[in-house]
Amino acid sequence: MRIASGGATDVGRVRANNEDCFGIVAPMGLFVLSDGMGGAAHGEVASALAVETVIKHCQEAENNPAAPVYGETRAGWNDRTKRLFSAVYLANKRIFESAEAHPEQKGMGATLTAAWINGPRLSIAHVGDSRAYLLRGGNLQQLTSDHSMVAEQVRRGIMTLAEAEQSEIQSVLLRALGSEPQVEIDTEEQELFARDVLLLCSDGLTRMVTEPEIAGALQSEPDAEKAAAKLVERANDAGGADNITVLVIRMESEYQGWFSWLRRWRKSANGNGLAGGD
Amino acid sequence: MAKLSLMFEDKLVKEVPVGGRPVGIGRSPDNDLPVDNLAVSNYHARVYFEAGRLVVEDLASLNGTFVNDLRIERATLHDGDSIHIGKHHIKVDATGDAPVPWDSGRKASAPRINETMVLDTKVRRDMLQQAAAMGERTQFAAGRMKVPTLIVLGGKVVQKEYMLTNKLTTIGKSSMASVRLKGWFKPPMAAQINQRDDGYYLAPGDKIPTINGTPIAGPVRLNDGDVIEVAGVRLNFIYRD
Repeated sequence: MRIASGGATDVGRVRANNEDCFGIVAPMGLFVLSDGMGGAAHGEVASALAVETVIKHCQEAENNPAAPVYGETRAGWNDRTKRLFSAVYLANKRIFESAEAHPEQKGMGATLTAAWINGPRLSIAHVGDSRAYLLRGGNLQQLTSDHSMVAEQVRRGIMTLAEAEQSEIQSVLLRALGSEPQVEIDTEEQELFARDVLLLCSDGLTRMVTEPEIAGALQSEPDAEKAAAKLVERANDAGGADNITVLVIRMESEYQGWFSWLRRWRKSANGNGLAGGD
Repeated sequence: MAKLSLMFEDKLVKEVPVGGRPVGIGRSPDNDLPVDNLAVSNYHARVYFEAGRLVVEDLASLNGTFVNDLRIERATLHDGDSIHIGKHHIKVDATGDAPVPWDSGRKASAPRINETMVLDTKVRRDMLQQAAAMGERTQFAAGRMKVPTLIVLGGKVVQKEYMLTNKLTTIGKSSMASVRLKGWFKPPMAAQINQRDDGYYLAPGDKIPTINGTPIAGPVRLNDGDVIEVAGVRLNFIYRD
C-alpha cells in the first residue's frame, strides 16, 4: 500500500495562540498530534515536547533496534507498537520532569495521539481527548476513547451523548501527558486496507464539525493535504472556538497484477512529471 | 450589580448576575446556573433579593447547600461569601445591591469554561466514585461494566467466542482479523464492530451483515442478545458478567 498524507493546523477564531502541534515522518509512516494545555504559552511547550520526543524515540529505534524500551509493554504487541508505547511513556516523563524543574510551567500538559503504519499494520497510542478516526466503506469509526470526564460518564451510562455535548465541563480531562510521573496509555493494533482513510485531529475539529460532515469532507476531497485544510476551514466557519489540527492519511492501493508493468513503464517514461510525491 | 460566579477547581465556569428574579441553581439544564455534577440535585438552591438583601435558599436538596462551610437552609449572603454545592463553589459578589432588569443581565453571562484542565488522581477518583455510586441507581450503568462478547452460533471460525476488547473489532478472513473466518471465498474484512462511548456499533465491510435477520446499511448499535449474520457465520452479541 502507498500512503498519501497531509496535515494542517490553525489557531482558530477565538484563541490568541496555537497550542496544538503535529509531526509527520512520511518515510516512516509515523504521524503524531498533540494538543497542549497550561497558561502563558506553556501549552505550546508541552505539545511540542510531546511530538518531538515521540518522533525522536521512534527514529532512534529504527536506526538502533537495541535502543531501550520504556514502560510495561505487552508481549503480544508487534515491535513498532511497543516502540510507540515506549515513546509516549517517555514523552509523559519529559513533560512531567520539565514542569517539576520549572515552577512557572506547573500545570502544563498535553494530549497525544500517534499512529505508526507499517504495511497493513497500524499501531495507535493515545492519551487525552484528541482523536483518531478510520473512514472505511463510508463509515467513520473512532479508534480512540476520549479521556475526558464527560466521555467517562457516557461510558458508565450516567450521561447521554447529547448531555455530554452540552456539558460545561467538556474540557476536564482525566488523563494527559505531563500531569503525573506515569500515565496509562491506550495502545492498539489494527489492520489497514486499501482506500482506508485515517484521521487524527484535536478537539478543535470534533467540537465544531459533526462526524457526518467530517466523513463527507474526507470522501469528497481525494487529496490528503487539501482535505486536511478543508476540515480546518469548516471548523473555523463553525466558530473556531479552539485551535484546530487535522492529519489526513490515505491508504492507496498499488497497482498489481497484469497491468502493473505498464504503469511502471509509463511512470518511468514520464519522469518525475507524473510520479506522485509523498 | 450583584453577581454569582460558578467555580470549579479555581476555574470560572459561568457567571450570572442576580437581578429582579431568583437565580435557580441545580443539575437540570433549565436552571439559570446549571451545575454539571451528580452530587447536585436537579433544582438544588436559589439566590434572590429580599428587602434589599441577597438570600440563598436550599430547595430541600439531597446533599445540601453550604455557605462558608456551614450547611444552611436559608441564609443572607454577603460580598465575598462562598456557596458550596457538590464539588463546585459559587463566589458571591454582592457589591451594588440594586436589582437590575433580568434581560439586560442575561446577555452579560460569561461563556462556558474553555481552558483545558486535568484532574489529579485523587479528585478524579473521588468524582468517578461519586458518579459511579449515582450510576448504579440508573438502569443502564450495570450493563456497561460487563464484557461484550460474541458467541459463535454457527459457521467456520477459529474460536468459540470472542471478547470485544478493542476499539475496532473486524470479522473476516484476513490474518489480522479479530474474528477470523475460515474457508474459501471469504472476504478479508466482512464486517466491523466499533466501540463508541455509548455502546458497540456493527457496520458493513465487504459484506452487508444482518442483525436479527434485518440487513444494515450503516453503523447500527448492538443490543444485548442480538444475533449477527455475515459471510456464513452467526454470532450472538451479549454483555457478560
